[in-house]
Amino acid sequence: MDKLMMQRRDAIKSLLAISAASALAACTGKTEGGEAKPAASASLKYASEGNFLNAYEMALVAALAQTIIPKTDTAGAIEAGVPAAIQGLASEWGDDNFRKYTRAGLLALDKYFKSVGGQAFADQSEKQRESLLSKYDADVFGGKVKDDFYRNFKSTVATAYYMSEPGASEELIYEAVPGDWKGCVPFSEIGRTWAT
Amino acid sequence: MLDFDAIVVGSGISGGWVAKELCERGLKVCVLERGADLNMNEDYSDNLDPWERQHFDRPKPDEAKSVYVVQSTSYAFKESNKHLWIKDSDQPYEVSEKTNFKWRRGNRVGGRSLLWGRASFRLAPHDFEANKLDGHGVDWPVRYGDIAPWYDRVEKFVGIAGNNDGLTQLPGGDNYLPPFDLTCAEQAVKNEMAKNFPDRDLIIARVANLKRLTEEQRALGRGQCQARNKCFHGCSYGAYFSSNSATIPAAERTGNLTLISNAIVTKMNYDAETKRVSSVDIIDSKTRETRRYSSKIIFLNASTVGSAMILLNSISEEFPSGLANTSDQVGRNFMDHVGGVWVEARVPGHKDEYVYGRRPTNAYIPRFRNFPEQQEPYMRGFAYQVYSGRSGAGGWRQGIGKDFKAANRTPGDWRIVLDAFGEILPHQDNRVTLHKSKTDKWGQPIAVIDAPMRDNEIALMKAAQKDAVDILTKTGCQDINPGKTPNDDGTNLGRRTHEMGTIRMGRDPKTSVLNGWNQAHDVPNLFVTDGSFMTSSAVQNPSLSYMAFSARAAHYAADLMQAGAL
Repeated sequence: MDKLMMQRRDAIKSLLAISAASALAACTGKTEGGEAKPAASASLKYASEGNFLNAYEMALVAALAQTIIPKTDTAGAIEAGVPAAIQGLASEWGDDNFRKYTRAGLLALDKYFKSVGGQAFADQSEKQRESLLSKYDADVFGGKVKDDFYRNFKSTVATAYYMSEPGASEELIYEAVPGDWKGCVPFSEIGRTWAT
Repeated sequence: MLDFDAIVVGSGISGGWVAKELCERGLKVCVLERGADLNMNEDYSDNLDPWERQHFDRPKPDEAKSVYVVQSTSYAFKESNKHLWIKDSDQPYEVSEKTNFKWRRGNRVGGRSLLWGRASFRLAPHDFEANKLDGHGVDWPVRYGDIAPWYDRVEKFVGIAGNNDGLTQLPGGDNYLPPFDLTCAEQAVKNEMAKNFPDRDLIIARVANLKRLTEEQRALGRGQCQARNKCFHGCSYGAYFSSNSATIPAAERTGNLTLISNAIVTKMNYDAETKRVSSVDIIDSKTRETRRYSSKIIFLNASTVGSAMILLNSISEEFPSGLANTSDQVGRNFMDHVGGVWVEARVPGHKDEYVYGRRPTNAYIPRFRNFPEQQEPYMRGFAYQVYSGRSGAGGWRQGIGKDFKAANRTPGDWRIVLDAFGEILPHQDNRVTLHKSKTDKWGQPIAVIDAPMRDNEIALMKAAQKDAVDILTKTGCQDINPGKTPNDDGTNLGRRTHEMGTIRMGRDPKTSVLNGWNQAHDVPNLFVTDGSFMTSSAVQNPSLSYMAFSARAAHYAADLMQAGAL
């Protein structure tokens, strides 16, 4: 756990170093400590127009999402458009804090899975991803590792998936217009969790 | 000579009712609305599926922090309905140090009637007597019997799904539509409550959604509730009551209604010779043009804060501290309902049971404290809105892959929440005033709110938390989470969006602004029927009372006009 925290701190530090270098010409703001730092917007590079997460980061997002929610008899996260939804949150929706948080969190996960798997998570075999993420997930949810970013990321993946068309209407059950309300019916009549 | 028989300032839930009733009585009515026109095809977002809602329909953090900093704190604020809310940047206001007032307001024709929670409860006989009995505030100039026929009248037109329930502290009507069902969990808790708490009951809320369509509502183009629970997006079926779905169409079909949007009323003009208010001045929010409209009678329905501001801004030689304000009560006695207690628990069992559809309402535990007798160290009481359901699919559980997907296909435990709504006492020093120098973008003075939570409100919430834990414990619920202590940030005015009291009714012109007919003591052709007239807050969601008093005052005013008295 200590090692992981160190890795995460290192990742964040290196991120800040990069952004500091890239922003010398930009206007500066003050950190809480009073030290000059680049204005937030200057530190957040977009990979291509409109997209904040670059191809490497997106490969990690897709690999994590698809390992959490693989294709079975229904769509997996990728088929349901989850990586695109996460790109949308980072690129169009979030503010600079959210973007920073997302990039730093992804970088920390990247570093961790490289260290335990020998190569980038996205390059690992499906089997290896399953095994490593399964263990990490159990460590986080079991309280052995504290990683709020991972919890939030997983929750975002699940929300994006279960609000997608295949996630809502094929994996779960969705009625746009129920027509009526019944407050207590046998579960067998419904069969699955309502998407909403 | 005069432009209209009547001017109604505001098209929200009370102004809509006044307009309907006056138009139906044959008066030529002009409604002035500060918000923009509403186009249902463009402005309603109820027909979007979840995957058509960008970014989970959450407001963008940058915009939430700048343009909608107050509005976006409402549970009903969504990215896809944000255009129905006022921009905070258009409505600056200040609060005193101990006040944490959140002013949430509509920005369209229909106002907050588009965004309300639709719970429709009557005040009870003891609510109208409360001030007289314990000496807080002034006595209501009316009693339940005066208002009951008007509750009957509005309930029939609105269309309210619910039961009569036969409760003295929450009287019911005879015109209810069939109720929405309780969930299995609510029914289980209700059954256990009956065994453990003979003085308490859990009922389904009475709600302004058309569980069944009547001919009266069909004729207005309204449709039956489809149990989608998309009400805050506007309803293309017209299935929940709003000015837009019901009262404005009813007023329009008389041919007597003129509705003017983008019209910000800045002040009212008093004619010292006739001793009447003669006209109102507006600024067009789009063109900044100023105009004046005149009429025989004027109804003020601009919201509890908005109406007080207009009166305070209407200065004349006769009324140097604001129109109809010889009592100095305009802007005082500002109330809401106090909240901040949220107690959650697991209801064991019922794993083979579920729900069908999305209920647009909740259950309710009516007030049981200090009723029928004062017994507690605190004054008045509280009720609970009750929410329940089985938890859905999500990433909050351990596991990945096939097993994770499979686990999410089965809904989780039944959960239940008790969310307390307490009565706020009328207090002279809880005030809305106008800022002496600061103005908004239209050059109008901004509001200053000084209305902290006081000892009784905090005591009520502490009791509500204790009682909620007690109820859930004794009804067999488990994993009870009592939530935050009730004196922190969650307990503040404006949280419930039930602002009341700033232009109160009373028997004595020296201590109240309006008489028992919502008519200004000082100015006989001026009526105020939004939440500002409320002499006490009770614990019930108040909109139904605004509607009943609005209809009653409109008919009274029309009677006076017909008799030649106005």
